[in-house]
Amino acid sequence: MSEVVLENVTKKFGKLTVLDGVNLKINAREFFVLLGPSGSGKTTLLRLIAGLEEITSGSIYIGGKKVNDLPPKERNIAMVFQNYALYPHMTVYDNIALPLKIKNYGEEKIKEKIKTIAETLHIEDILQKKPSQISGGQQQRVALARALVRDPAVFLLDEPLSNLDAKLRVEARAFLKSLQKEVGITTVFVTHDQSEAMALATTIAVLNKGVIKQVGDPYELYTKPMDIFTAGFIGSPAMNMIPGKLIKEGSSWKFLSDDFSLDLSGMKFDNETETILGIRPEHIVIANDQGLNAKIKNVEPMGAVTYLEIKVGNTELTAQYTGLVKLEAGMDVKIRFVEDKMLFYDKKTEKLINY
Amino acid sequence: MKIKLTTVVVLILLVLASLVYIFPIYWTLVTALKTSLEIFTYPPIFFPTKIDLGNFYQPGNVFGAVSQTAIGSVPWMINSTIVAIFATLISTFLIAAPASYALVRYIKSVWLARLILFMTMIPEAVFMVPFFLIVIKLNILNTWWALIITYISFTAPFATWLLMGFFNDIPKSVEEAAQIDGLSPYQIFYRISLPLIMPGVVAAIILNFISCWNELLYALILTYSPFPSGAQTVPVFLTSFIIVEKSFAWGGLAAAGVFTMLPTIILGIIAQKYLARGLTLGAVKG
Repeated sequence: MSEVVLENVTKKFGKLTVLDGVNLKINAREFFVLLGPSGSGKTTLLRLIAGLEEITSGSIYIGGKKVNDLPPKERNIAMVFQNYALYPHMTVYDNIALPLKIKNYGEEKIKEKIKTIAETLHIEDILQKKPSQISGGQQQRVALARALVRDPAVFLLDEPLSNLDAKLRVEARAFLKSLQKEVGITTVFVTHDQSEAMALATTIAVLNKGVIKQVGDPYELYTKPMDIFTAGFIGSPAMNMIPGKLIKEGSSWKFLSDDFSLDLSGMKFDNETETILGIRPEHIVIANDQGLNAKIKNVEPMGAVTYLEIKVGNTELTAQYTGLVKLEAGMDVKIRFVEDKMLFYDKKTEKLINY
Repeated sequence: MKIKLTTVVVLILLVLASLVYIFPIYWTLVTALKTSLEIFTYPPIFFPTKIDLGNFYQPGNVFGAVSQTAIGSVPWMINSTIVAIFATLISTFLIAAPASYALVRYIKSVWLARLILFMTMIPEAVFMVPFFLIVIKLNILNTWWALIITYISFTAPFATWLLMGFFNDIPKSVEEAAQIDGLSPYQIFYRISLPLIMPGVVAAIILNFISCWNELLYALILTYSPFPSGAQTVPVFLTSFIIVEKSFAWGGLAAAGVFTMLPTIILGIIAQKYLARGLTLGAVKG
C-alpha cells in the first residue's frame, strides 16, 4: 500500500494555469476524495497522478518514489474512467484479463485471479458478454474489476458514479466504500457531488480554480468550512450567506445586515469589518416568542425533513426542520440562529474569522 | 393500419431510384443470355424468349487463347484478383491504418490531413507519364507489381482519409485505459484501436478493392498480355469485345461483364452491413 504525495504541483495548458502549487498528502489505505465544481482542475490532478498528463512543475511521489517522469504503466496505478472505457470489442473476461496478459501472467493464474475478482464484484455471470450487452451498473463493476485485478498501489477513480441513475448510484456508492475497506487500496476519487464526497471519503480536498481550498475529514469540512467557497459548496441545501457588518457596541459585538441585527454576546472579533454570516439551514430555528420577524414563503415537506423558504425583510433564507411541520406559506413566524453554529467570513479575504 | 402518404411517396421514389441502378445490371444479364438475333431486335426485347449460354461458354475455346466468351476471361480474372487483393491489403493495413492513426493521435497536422484529402481528388490520369517511366525504370512493365504500386498510390490516400474519421471517433479514455493497463503505444494500436475500427477497415477494403478491380487506364498502359505471361486485368479484357471484326460483340461483352462483376457484387453483399455503418460513421468527423 502506498501513499501519494504531491509537492507544489502546477499544471499549465499553454497560458492557462489549471493547477497552481498543489500540496497534498494522501495516506496509505485512505479513501481520498477530490471535490470541486467542473473546471476546478480535479480531473487534471487525477490525470497527473496517473501519468496521463505531464506536470509543469513540482513533484509527485507514489510510495515514496518520485514518479514525475514515469509513464502510467510504471506507476502501478489503476484508474476507472467516467465512461468506464471498457474495450468494446472484447468480452468482459478479456477486458479484465488484458492487464494481466500484458504482464505475462500464465493462463491458469489469470483464470484464478479473474475468478476471485469476479466473485468480489458479483460479475461471475457476465464474463462471456460484451460490454454493450451489460447494464451501466455492471459495466462499472467490470471497470472496477479490471482496475483491481492487478493489485495496484493506488486506485484512481474519475467520477465513476456519475453515469449511473440515482438509485443505482447510492447502491454503487455503498458498495464502493465497503469494497475499498475490504481491499484496502489507497484510493483517490474525483467528484463534483459533495454528498458523494461526504458519504465516501475519509479525507476530502476541496478544489476551486486549481487551488486546494481545504483538506479535512467530512465532519470538519461540514462544521468548520474555512472559507466561503467551501462553506457554500458543501451541504445541501446550501448554507445561507448573509452579507453584513460586524460592529462593536461597548464591550459586545453586533452583526448588522440590511434587514436585521443580531447581538453576538459572548463572541469576540479582532476588528469591525464587512462580513458574511454563514448559517446552515438546520441551524435556523423557529422560535416561539423571541427572535427575528420572518415570513414563510414556501414549505417543502420531504418526509424526514421539511425545507422552509423564509424571508426576513428582503433577505431570503432556507431553513431545514426535522420531520414534518404544520407550517404554511404566508405565515408570520419568529426565527433564531443557533448561536454557536454561526460562521463569520471576512468579506474581502473570504476566510473564516470566528473560531 | 393507415399508411402515411409520405411513406408511399418515399417508397415510390426509392423504387424508381433503385430501378435506375438495377436496370443496367439487368440489361447486361439479359443481353448475355439472349441469342445474337434477339440482341439486335428493334424494338428491344426486355424478356428473352430463349436462354442461350453460348456467350458464357463455347466448347473449343480454351483458357489462355483470346476468347469471345465470358469463361475466356479467367486468365485476366486471375491477374485482377491478385492485383486488387494485394494493392488493397497493402494500402489499407500497411499504409492507411498506421498513417491515419498517426495523423489522428500523434501528428495532428491539419495541413497534412488536407494534403491527403487533396491527393484523393487528383485525376489519376495526371500521373500517367511519371508512373510509366517509374515502371520502365524498375523493369516491372507487364507485371503485377506495376499495377499494385500504382493502385496503392490511389487507394492509400483514400483509405487514410476514411480511417482518420474512425480513429477520431474512438474515445480517448479507452486508449488511456489501455495505457494504464500497461500496453505500449504499438500494442494499443493493434490490440485496441485497430480492432475497434474494423467496420471502417472493411469499408475501406471493399471500396478500394472495387476501384482496383475496375481500373482500366493504368492496366491499359502498364500491361499488355494476360496471365500467365503478363498482368493484364479484366477491364482491358472487356475492351477486346468492343471491336471484333468491325462490329461489337455485345453478347460476349455482356456475358463477360456479368462474370467479372460477380466478385464485387458478392463482396458488396457480404459486407454491406459494414459498408453502410462504415461510411456513415466515418463521415461524421474528418
